[in-house]
Parts: sequence; C-alpha cells; structure tokens
Amino acid sequence: MVALERRKDLGKKVTVKIRFFAQFRELLGSDIITEVPAGTMFSSLITSVAKKNPEGYAAIFDKNGAFHEFVILMKNGKRIDIADADKTVIADGDEIAVFPPVAGG
Amino acid sequence: MISIQTEDVDIGTLIAAAKKQGTGAIVVFDGVVRDDEITEMELEAYEDIAKQELEKIARDAADLFRLLHVDIIHRIGRLAIGENILIIVVSAGHRTEAYAGSRYIIEEIKKGVPIWKKELKKDGGRWVPGEHSHGRPKTV
Repeated sequence: MVALERRKDLGKKVTVKIRFFAQFRELLGSDIITEVPAGTMFSSLITSVAKKNPEGYAAIFDKNGAFHEFVILMKNGKRIDIADADKTVIADGDEIAVFPPVAGG
Repeated sequence: MISIQTEDVDIGTLIAAAKKQGTGAIVVFDGVVRDDEITEMELEAYEDIAKQELEKIARDAADLFRLLHVDIIHRIGRLAIGENILIIVVSAGHRTEAYAGSRYIIEEIKKGVPIWKKELKKDGGRWVPGEHSHGRPKTV
C-alpha cells in the first residue's frame, strides 16, 4: 500500500517559495517560486537553485557540496539543522529560507 | 509595541506609555548608526519571522525580569549616520530588573533574530558579520 502511494507521487510536482537574505539574496535573488518533483529534499532543492550562480553556490556550499557550517536554514519559520537537510522532504506550499548569520541590533 | 519598520519613532512618547502602575524605573536602549567611515547603513529583515522572534524575546524578558512594559522597534531600510536602528524601552518596579531586562533583550536579538546590516561606503558595501552562528556564540 505504501509502495502504491509512493508510486502515485511519482511525476507529481510541488510548488515552494525560496527566500534568500543578505549577501545570499544579492547573489541568488529572493522570493523564488519554483516547482520541484514531490519527494525532493531540502538540500537538493537549494543545491539546484544555487547552482545557477557559481558565486552564490560558493557562498552557501563548500567544495564538497555540503552547506557551510555558518549557513542557517529554515522551513516554514522553523530552523532545520544542516545535518537534517538531506532527509527533510519539501512539501507543497513550503516556505524555505536560507541565510547567513544574523547581525541585527 | 513590537515592530519592524522603516519609520523612526518618538522615544519620548514610548517612555510616557511605559509608565505603567508600579513603575519605578525605565531603561531605554537606543542603538544608532555609528560613523565608521560609512555613508549609510542598509538593514534587511526576514520580517514575519523576525517579528515573531522579537515578540517571544519580549515575553521571555517580561517573565524573567518582571517587566511591566516592553517596546522593541527595529528599523529596516537605509539609515544615515546618527539615525536610530533599534529602540528598546522597558519598565519595571526597580532599576535592577529594568537594566537586566533591557540587556537580555539586546543580547537575544544579536543571537538569533533574522536581521542583517550592510555598511555602505563610497566604494561599495560590506555585510556586517554576525556575532553568532546558528544562535550559539562562536567562542565562549
């Protein structure tokens, strides 16, 4: 039954909004609405979007393709640990945010 | 009032409103754009989330330090040297709680609220590096 449900998801698309801030926004833009296959993981979504600008990609990822340790990730306003980004599934309507350390005040 | 906004505020009006019954001390923190050989400062926020986090910090500070009133106004957009960036007004029964509550609020904002500053100079700009990563101090 589970396998059947999964098969039904194949080919389905989900729409998500990606928000970059500060220097990440300058390099990659903000409020990016994109369609991705159902089941896409957080990290692969950001990888594919960031690859559109090598400088933006290098700002977020190291040379091994892992998030720089200082990068902060959020899904629908809740922080996601970098270690969990590979297993966090993106759902339809999610708002994803990626930003550098904060500097308010 | 908890707000992220472009406009400045009248601090005198905030102080008057902070004088709740039982108030014996009001502490005002006013962070301003410093003349660090810059032309202007540009501030950006993840507004919805930053406002929620400021509201939580205000609630926590009120509980921890028995504050009678809390205002946090964080400005965004382009600000000139000397302009107000962040205004925190707290009132309490006594100065100890008022000072401690005000200090707690500014330190919590620096730790984790999604707001960023860019120093603008004649020859370009520089994003101010955060003091913390992932909400934790880099060094203790």
